[in-house]
Amino acid sequence: MATSSSGGDKFTRNLVIGMVALVVVVGASFSYFGSKGSTTAAIPSSVSKADGYGIVFNGDFPNVPTIDVYEDFQCPVCARFEAINGITLEKAIEEKKAKVVYHVLSFLGTESILAANAAACAADEDKFLAFHKAFYANQPAENAGAINATFLKSIGAAIGIDSAKFSACVDNGGYSDWVKNVAEAGAKANVNSTPTVFVNGKEIDRNTEYFNVEAFAKAIKG
Amino acid sequence: MILNLIEKFALGKYGKWFGLLSRLILGGVLFAAGWLKIFTPAKSQMAVRAYEVLPIALANFLGILLPWFEVGLGVLLILGIAVRVSALLGGALMVLFIAAISQAWARGLSIDCGCFGGGGTVDPSETKYLSEILRDTGLALLALYLVRYPLTRFAVEKLTKTQGE
Repeated sequence: MATSSSGGDKFTRNLVIGMVALVVVVGASFSYFGSKGSTTAAIPSSVSKADGYGIVFNGDFPNVPTIDVYEDFQCPVCARFEAINGITLEKAIEEKKAKVVYHVLSFLGTESILAANAAACAADEDKFLAFHKAFYANQPAENAGAINATFLKSIGAAIGIDSAKFSACVDNGGYSDWVKNVAEAGAKANVNSTPTVFVNGKEIDRNTEYFNVEAFAKAIKG
Repeated sequence: MILNLIEKFALGKYGKWFGLLSRLILGGVLFAAGWLKIFTPAKSQMAVRAYEVLPIALANFLGILLPWFEVGLGVLLILGIAVRVSALLGGALMVLFIAAISQAWARGLSIDCGCFGGGGTVDPSETKYLSEILRDTGLALLALYLVRYPLTRFAVEKLTKTQGE
């Protein structure tokens, strides 16, 4: 079957092919470099690069199990997870029974980045856990435009943060590069779902241990 | 026998109209699938990793590239430019997807195919491997038709065989 183009048509054909190829290459490159973290990113307090840029509690207790919790503030299942296991984790932190590392991922979209940035601002006020809890208790619908600076500041106000620093931090998104670092580290750690919980580097059982208070409390003893 | 029937249909009155339809369906699905993923690259990377086939670094790279590649192929098919090559690449993609989904199913993973965004680990009750495989098989057959009969209605690129019509 003859399928060669005629003369003048060939130009249009090659032009369009070239343009499409260019858009694909440029777009993919932007996407690639845009999601890359940066070593010079501003980092909130209690974050450890060695722990995948996560927010660390009880980092200086060497003889307790390490619990890595990967979440996205917009993920509805994460809100359910928090409602079931939030208290258990808080208690483990309070009683120094575990080192807990929160990884705030942002794969669900730009509003996840805003929320993660605000959580980092709250970490600077030593209020990460309170922010985390209050946010999930009031989690808005996914990517509906509800998670904005006003909403995030109201969560802050509800847990008693009234500093101008927090407000400015939420407004200017100063930790968004750090949010990318967290995402990149999560991708390297092969986290394919949220929430994901590792105890001493090993994932707990998704079918039985995530959404059961007793099973979870037992699983995080390591 | 069946091939003769297809040949007769393809060279008949409706062959090129069916070609147009195939181009629009295959191209439209590829374009939509890519478009829904290009703005959430981290999620797309997660979807590729969840198949547990490729090394993590390669899966992350593919998660970024694949959506753009799909959009590109979709545009070429919809416009009707380099139809044979685009259909060949689109069909090859479908065969790869079918293989990837089948192995996930066979190994008992519970993942979403992540074809149109989404993806990653899901509850075992939410997997829909069979319908995903059937859909991709249908698209692969359309691609095959276009590879064999790339002359279609309303293609930007007019091929010599269509001259004088």
